Amino acid sequence: MRPFWALVKRDLTLGMRRKSQIYQPLVFQLLVVTMFPLGLGSGAKTLALIAPAVIWILALLASLLTLDQIFKNDYDDGSVESYVLTSSPLSFAVLAKVLAHWLLSGLPLVLFSPILAVLLHLPPSSYPTLMLSLLIGTPIFSFIGSIGSALTMSLKHGGLLLTVLVMPLLTPVLIFGAGAVVESSLGNSASQHLMFLSGMLVLSFTLVPFAAAAAIKINLE
Amino acid sequence: MNISINTIINMPKKWWEAIVLFYHKLGSPPSFYRISGYFLKWLLLIAIILAGIGFYDGLILAPVDYQQGDTVRIMYVHVSSAWMSMFIYAIMGICGLIAIIWRMKVAEAVLMASAPIGAWFTLITLLTGSLWGKPMWGTWWEWDARMTSELILLFLYIGIMATYTAFSEDARKAARMAALVAVVGLVNLPIIHFSVKWWSSIHQGTTVSLMGESKITWDMLRPLIYMAFATKFYYGYSMLKRARMYLLETESNKKWAQTIVMEEKS
Repeated sequence: MRPFWALVKRDLTLGMRRKSQIYQPLVFQLLVVTMFPLGLGSGAKTLALIAPAVIWILALLASLLTLDQIFKNDYDDGSVESYVLTSSPLSFAVLAKVLAHWLLSGLPLVLFSPILAVLLHLPPSSYPTLMLSLLIGTPIFSFIGSIGSALTMSLKHGGLLLTVLVMPLLTPVLIFGAGAVVESSLGNSASQHLMFLSGMLVLSFTLVPFAAAAAIKINLE
Repeated sequence: MNISINTIINMPKKWWEAIVLFYHKLGSPPSFYRISGYFLKWLLLIAIILAGIGFYDGLILAPVDYQQGDTVRIMYVHVSSAWMSMFIYAIMGICGLIAIIWRMKVAEAVLMASAPIGAWFTLITLLTGSLWGKPMWGTWWEWDARMTSELILLFLYIGIMATYTAFSEDARKAARMAALVAVVGLVNLPIIHFSVKWWSSIHQGTTVSLMGESKITWDMLRPLIYMAFATKFYYGYSMLKRARMYLLETESNKKWAQTIVMEEKS
């Protein structure tokens, strides 16, 4: 486990030194949220109706901004090769990279979401569901994104390809994530949706590291 | 009779050994090229005949639906293309696994040859579905579960082809990357399908199902079966043709490919 934590720690240190990577997605979210009332009119009812979808789609877009960074910098400076060469399995390195990426980009999104919810007049009773659904859902973004990042890391302009690859795979997350918030804002129980989300998280936790490791190996050939 | 030593060694003793030998031969590009050459024109011929019968049966002989009128005839193209769009993706997923695990060149060729055909069938399904939806549902597009997952399937096809083009300077690496995308998509496809299905059932209440509760009559099923087989044979023809070209292109520095190209030229 030591190489695993060493890698997480290294990525966190690097991330803390590039703070713009952490707050820029949040600024992006805030900017886009501002556009909605300006375009739709400031009616609280309309905004509350679209709030779950908007917050979830923004979480998806904001994580897409940073997904290609999971492996890109490491590929450019050659550290990806050292992950392949070390004795610990490559899938462990993938897990470490995903964990670090989520801590730096997913967690801020979760913590920031109540502010977006206030701006969009989401009923306060569904804040806990919103945060919980994002807490379960954003790691899946990082997981699936790590496959895309591993595939596109050697490309100069891989961002668009990454989006094309990752977006269709993330549709179930959006369906159940936004669905959970919709249910709770209507006063229903969101547990079904949250359980589906958790199931997908477990599934990606078990399968994605192997897929991403395979992508890295193919990419380094 | 002159039997070379090679044929004696390779002579299969049991019937399953013959099948294994055949399979291994298919794995080598020159043999694949040679063997697939025998099938090409027959596949095309059968496809044309079946499509001809299917169109005649479906457009002229089959009865008019009591509710949908003549628009039901779109089904013969629409449903068979929809089946193909999923059938081809399944084949691509399997080829993707083979390409990643055993690195078989022919599997890569079949995978990349199938992608555009599958994408076209998906597009045809979407377009004919929307042509049918306008008179029936009164709208070109409905966010119905099947249509949505078919659209996502189209995105997956596009993703596979885009991956290949992004890495096109190294064809083998590109094909294996695309294979990985295909496999990941194959695992995800059922999840996407069921989540979309579930989502549309909470959003819409009732979804119009294409076949309805009523059983389809034999007179309507028959042309559909013709069309289903016609598209399968057409896929076989088109895929083999593309795979052959793919192999010639990627193996253009090998002797067998050069000989074939020289023969074709002369």
